[in-house]
Amino acid sequence: MDLSDQVVEHLRRVAALPDLTGTPYELLEEIGRGGMGVVYAAHDRPLDRRVALKVLDAAAESEAGLIARLEHPAIVPVYQAGLLPDGRPWYAMKLVSGARLDHFLAGGPSLAERLRVFRRIGEAVAFAHTRGVMHRDLKPQNVMVGPFGEVYVMDWGIAAVAGTPAFRAPEQALDFRSDIYALGAMLACALPDPAPPALRAIADKAANRDAAARYVDVPALLADIERFQEGLAVEAWKEPLWHGLHRFASRNAVLLWLLAAYATVKFVLFFMRNL
Amino acid sequence: MSHDDTAIGGPHAQFPSTQLSLLAAASGSLPNDALDRIIALYWKPVYRFVRLKFRKDNEDAKDLTQSFFATALERDFFLRFDPSKASFRTYLRMAVERFAANQHAAAHCQKRGGEIRFEPVDDQEVAGDSPEEAFEREWRRQLFTLALEDLAACAAREGKQLQLAIFEAYDLAAAERPSYAALGARHDIAETAVTNHLAWARRTLRGFVTERLQGVTPGERELRQEMRRIWI
Repeated sequence: MDLSDQVVEHLRRVAALPDLTGTPYELLEEIGRGGMGVVYAAHDRPLDRRVALKVLDAAAESEAGLIARLEHPAIVPVYQAGLLPDGRPWYAMKLVSGARLDHFLAGGPSLAERLRVFRRIGEAVAFAHTRGVMHRDLKPQNVMVGPFGEVYVMDWGIAAVAGTPAFRAPEQALDFRSDIYALGAMLACALPDPAPPALRAIADKAANRDAAARYVDVPALLADIERFQEGLAVEAWKEPLWHGLHRFASRNAVLLWLLAAYATVKFVLFFMRNL
Repeated sequence: MSHDDTAIGGPHAQFPSTQLSLLAAASGSLPNDALDRIIALYWKPVYRFVRLKFRKDNEDAKDLTQSFFATALERDFFLRFDPSKASFRTYLRMAVERFAANQHAAAHCQKRGGEIRFEPVDDQEVAGDSPEEAFEREWRRQLFTLALEDLAACAAREGKQLQLAIFEAYDLAAAERPSYAALGARHDIAETAVTNHLAWARRTLRGFVTERLQGVTPGERELRQEMRRIWI
């Protein structure tokens, strides 16, 4: 038998298609593929809705169970999981529409919107960490921003994935702080150019090559961003005096204006009385 | 396959008798079945690689491939493979390259003055991929060829000739594929049955591809990597 290249390619494609016999799903089309599996759009027949169906390499078998444990508004909910007749694990999840974070950022959102999305990502990661789950491959391509501003962090905790170079912490043995490194790298990507120095410093601290010099956990990172948004000094940056004064003035503008007005009135009254 | 290409390394029936003697010459430390599987899968990719990389004609490429496997078996080459350094496929391809280059150099010395003949290769081969890519492509083709043989044997064993016939008519069609309805009408079965038969054949084929890969990979980790190369 002499197989042509076309037939080999066809066989590769069709033999990889999941056999969904015995499941409530009907395969529609492939919508993406990554290191550990392929994602298809599928039709959930009983509920008449479109879902995303991910078919995994057996090495990533625990992924569905892992995500199912993570019930959080910024983590894609898993509907059902199982094994294909050929032994490959699969799971069906909400089909998220919207834009990938990198595409969303390319649209030039405001700084406030960028920080809102980033904090949402951080909250999802912080929640997962409390459940003992690391993401291991955080990057803008693994975050979706929906049409109503909803944020979803996807592709969780696949031990076999080494991470994406630009977002991967330098340490050999990954731990929770490696996710903080990736968040720092993502924050750096999410900031506009030029970025406020305090935010740049937060991103740099989170993505420090020395794991011990990073934030101790994700809530500490988020708290520093919150301090920035409230006009307070951030932990990551020792600001110059003039910057501190400027920040104080910006934060207390109304009070300062009132004080200035009060002083002016007192000054005028003082002169009028002594005329 | 070009007209002067070899059929060696294809279906088992076309295996040369010398191949069997290679197996007999094996040290015995690697099971014969494992060697058989390695050679069945890699003979043709190695042959194609040698042809393209060193511009050998059909006979020279066959001889070189044959002597590579003979030498590899004599020197326990397969047992010296270290999975932590490279995949078996890369290890084997690089070894072939070194071996063929040495043979080439030896031939060069004998002829005192570089009278080595570089045989023209087919236009189709020159216009295609690099030798390394051709090696990979031939490896995939050979993997599926062997898995299809396994599938045919399985279908015969389990009385699933109808499933196999539908699969061959649809998935192995060289030209336009028939519709499911046409296939159903041809075999007097419903369209859903065509879908089910195709699903069985594809699933079983996938299983045999995995089995073939298992036979030539040293561990679970490399098997996973090879699976990803094939399917993803």
